[in-house]
Amino acid sequence: MSFLNIENVNKHYFDVEVLKSINIEINKGDFLVLVGPSGCGKSTLLNMIAGLDEISGGDISIDGQSMAGVHPSKRDIAMVFQSYALYPNMSVAKNISFGLEMRKVPKVERDKAVQKVAKMLQMEQLLDRKPSQLSGGQRQRVAMGRALVREPRVFLFDEPLSNLDAKLRVDMRTEIKQLHQRLGATIVYVTHDQIEAMTLATKIAVMNAGIVQQFGSPEEIYDNPVNTFVAGFMGSPSMNLIQAKVCKVEDKLCFEVATADQDRPLLLPIERDQQALVSYLNRNVTLGLRPETITDPGSANRSEGQIHEADLMVKVTEPTGADMFVVTQLGGTEVVARMRSRCGALAGQSCRFAFDVSRNLAFDGDTGDRIQ
Amino acid sequence: MSASSQDNALRSGIAWRVLIYSVLIVTAVIYLAPLFVMLVTSLKSLEEIRMGNMMALPLQITFEPWLKAWGSACLGLDCNGISGYFWNSLKITVPAVAIGTLLGAFNGYVLTKWRFRGHQWVFGMMLFACFIPFQIVLLPMSQVLGWLGLANTTSGLVLVHVVYGLGFTTLFFRNFYEAFPDELIRASVMDGAGFFTIFGRILLPNSGPIIVVTVIWQFTNIWNDFLFGASFASGDTAPITVALNNLVNSSTGVKEYNVHMAAAITAALPTLLVYVVAGRYFVRGLMAGSVKG
Amino acid sequence: MQQNIARDKASTVSESRNDKLIGYLQQHLPKLVLAPSFAVILMFVYGFILWTVYLSFSASKMLPNYTWVGLEQWSRLWNTLTWQISLQNLFIFSVLYIGLCIVIGLSLAILLDQKIRLEGGLRTLYLYPMALSFIVTGTAWKWFLNPGLGLERTMHEWGFVDFKFDWLINSDMAIYTVVIAGVWQASGFIMAMFLAGLRGIDNEILKAAQIDGAPAWKIYTRIIIPQLGPVFLSAFVVLLHLAIKSFDLVIALTGGGPGNATSLPATFMYSYSFTRNQIGVGASSAVFMLMIIASIMVPYIYSEIKGGKK
Repeated sequence: MSFLNIENVNKHYFDVEVLKSINIEINKGDFLVLVGPSGCGKSTLLNMIAGLDEISGGDISIDGQSMAGVHPSKRDIAMVFQSYALYPNMSVAKNISFGLEMRKVPKVERDKAVQKVAKMLQMEQLLDRKPSQLSGGQRQRVAMGRALVREPRVFLFDEPLSNLDAKLRVDMRTEIKQLHQRLGATIVYVTHDQIEAMTLATKIAVMNAGIVQQFGSPEEIYDNPVNTFVAGFMGSPSMNLIQAKVCKVEDKLCFEVATADQDRPLLLPIERDQQALVSYLNRNVTLGLRPETITDPGSANRSEGQIHEADLMVKVTEPTGADMFVVTQLGGTEVVARMRSRCGALAGQSCRFAFDVSRNLAFDGDTGDRIQ
Repeated sequence: MSASSQDNALRSGIAWRVLIYSVLIVTAVIYLAPLFVMLVTSLKSLEEIRMGNMMALPLQITFEPWLKAWGSACLGLDCNGISGYFWNSLKITVPAVAIGTLLGAFNGYVLTKWRFRGHQWVFGMMLFACFIPFQIVLLPMSQVLGWLGLANTTSGLVLVHVVYGLGFTTLFFRNFYEAFPDELIRASVMDGAGFFTIFGRILLPNSGPIIVVTVIWQFTNIWNDFLFGASFASGDTAPITVALNNLVNSSTGVKEYNVHMAAAITAALPTLLVYVVAGRYFVRGLMAGSVKG
Repeated sequence: MQQNIARDKASTVSESRNDKLIGYLQQHLPKLVLAPSFAVILMFVYGFILWTVYLSFSASKMLPNYTWVGLEQWSRLWNTLTWQISLQNLFIFSVLYIGLCIVIGLSLAILLDQKIRLEGGLRTLYLYPMALSFIVTGTAWKWFLNPGLGLERTMHEWGFVDFKFDWLINSDMAIYTVVIAGVWQASGFIMAMFLAGLRGIDNEILKAAQIDGAPAWKIYTRIIIPQLGPVFLSAFVVLLHLAIKSFDLVIALTGGGPGNATSLPATFMYSYSFTRNQIGVGASSAVFMLMIIASIMVPYIYSEIKGGKK
């Protein structure tokens, strides 16, 4: 049975609808990440789970119990805020124990709980400091300690890493993941960073414009995005979305893609979702190619995929050290391919590209929905 | 442009610098002159005042005018000096400042952290109340104070100052709490803290600067008030500003300028002291009172 | 702690009815806390304004008398010579007071902004009059400008034998002594406002102007001062507001005299209401003062609040 159940939830401020019939169910121990661009309503949804924002319609229940009308402090949840929201006038220990104090937990037990959490997060030596004397990473830890000490049914995280610098962010991400694995806690986590979503989540809800675009495991979302928004939002560098035409060449369905050379379009055989694509014959679709499915012939994965090779003009190369991103022109837009760093591609010259056509995705040209 | 050249300075030739400094210092002397004249006059005998130069230092320092101003100068028929009125002012100012500041803090808290529909209108109406000319309320107020039995009492003036200070104290706290992170309030709500606990444990401990600003603002305004004092208090209950004016303008007998000046400095002393000790906060209050947000 | 939290969990359900009541109270508590203050403002500010407006249409003389007499008190007000003089004085006073305060305040601010070593101390000196009561200021300047013993005599002693300064007792000039004392009191404050404005200007713009080769005075006239527009507006509003409310200073310095030469609307209202037993006329003058202030403050506050939202 689902542990956290968000059922048909709506939210509108006056006349503006910010969330439209949201349905999400997760199990105990799940790590749910709500991901989407800013303004998509993910933080509002989190605040509604916390009880800090009112629900306009629908219901949220935790462990089978409806949360309608239940005060935030009575929901048995804890939250880690983006700005950490540490009380500036209180020491670290006081910050952690304040919630217990408000719940009238005796002092002896409070102290014990604080010690335990401090040990878990390795910050015993910080307990007497004030928040202003802590570094960003340490504040982040205190904010987590404040949530952990309560041992709540659900943890809520509101973009907890967005105020940290890049390196610290990666470290804390690992730490949060370890905490989740160790405690088996149920977590709802909001972020706009799709890498955080992919690495942390057991379940992802991709949101845009107040609607859950897709809800599923990270693999499902990455491999089978339901529309161009999800396809474009998840993954880095993002998926190449290019215009293509479905056509038949020698009885085989192909995507016809314009190249820099007008007389010689690129023809990519269709290996996937053929049935659905038959009805699109001679129509334009949006073709989705992940950068890692376009490589140099030498590093193409021939055992699992079906490789189609073509020569194309290279516009720009961007070496990153481990890989080289090679940009070419396809279907009127720039397309990024991910090649070995020493594949020999040079800007302004022709180069051989290998397409793994078994992983190509097609989307309806008008609605952006996946064709499958 | 050299590396050390300064961001928005006029070209700094030596001559320019000298000129700038002289202008600034001469101006400072002019600003100080009246206070200096008051001080030296208050330390001279009447005889010396009549004979000598206003600007000159006293030939013979005497504290007689100060003692007289404090304890035995005559205001009308009553010759007990201004000391009683000084205490009146204190009795009015201290409770009015305390109550006004506390109410302002609560109002600011509600208007920023517990918003309700129409909160802007409530705030707008309170804000406008800061800027009315008080002449518009004098007549009804004197009637109401009479009905309440508070005419000619210091308590009546406490009420008046609390009421007409509310707009400013609310404005100060509202603007301060506006910048106070909402996430802290959300965090404490989730921790289980209620309305008053959040105020007492989270907001107030972090309100030090704005409390100082508000207290100084209120103290200065109420201590320096003349209009309300003159309108609603007379005789024994008058505040010091009213007493000073009566002393200076009493037409009977010889004008004792030295006593007048001693009394004027006494009346100015508390606010001057506050200014010297906490000038930074005083200026912040002035700014906040003039540039709203 | 574990047990305690377990207990907490078990009790959440049974407590929920109680919660509703607490929730209801929690929901309305903030409004209950604000209500007394708002009620007081409604009554003592807005109620009293209406009351005074009514008085201005009533037959009130020495005591309030609520017989409606229409515009009688208003026409009496406008036919009173002292009122006409008061308005004329207010105009002269406001123009000079605002103009001088802004000129002096801005000049001092610019001079102080030249990396002056003693800046902190000088600023404190320029601003201290603002902490004084107008009554004290008035008393001080009354003595300072005393025709017999004050500045005039000092100048004589210093050798300027022909120096004459009797403005305080000269009906034509007395209003200017009020201007002098007022400017002395408020110009330091205006200086502080401008200084804050100058410090708020982006330094990189000034660096860019210097690289563009603009001479210092041009940087001020072309780049800095135009950016101080909002400060000018604030200073203007604050000073006009102070000018219209000016009461204490006049009472202490000249008492409105000689004769009625330095009468201002504020002193007019006070003397007609409380000493001349003309409450109706006093009320109508107060309403007129409110109208002037409201016509400036309402748009100003409105724009400030709206601008703040951006």
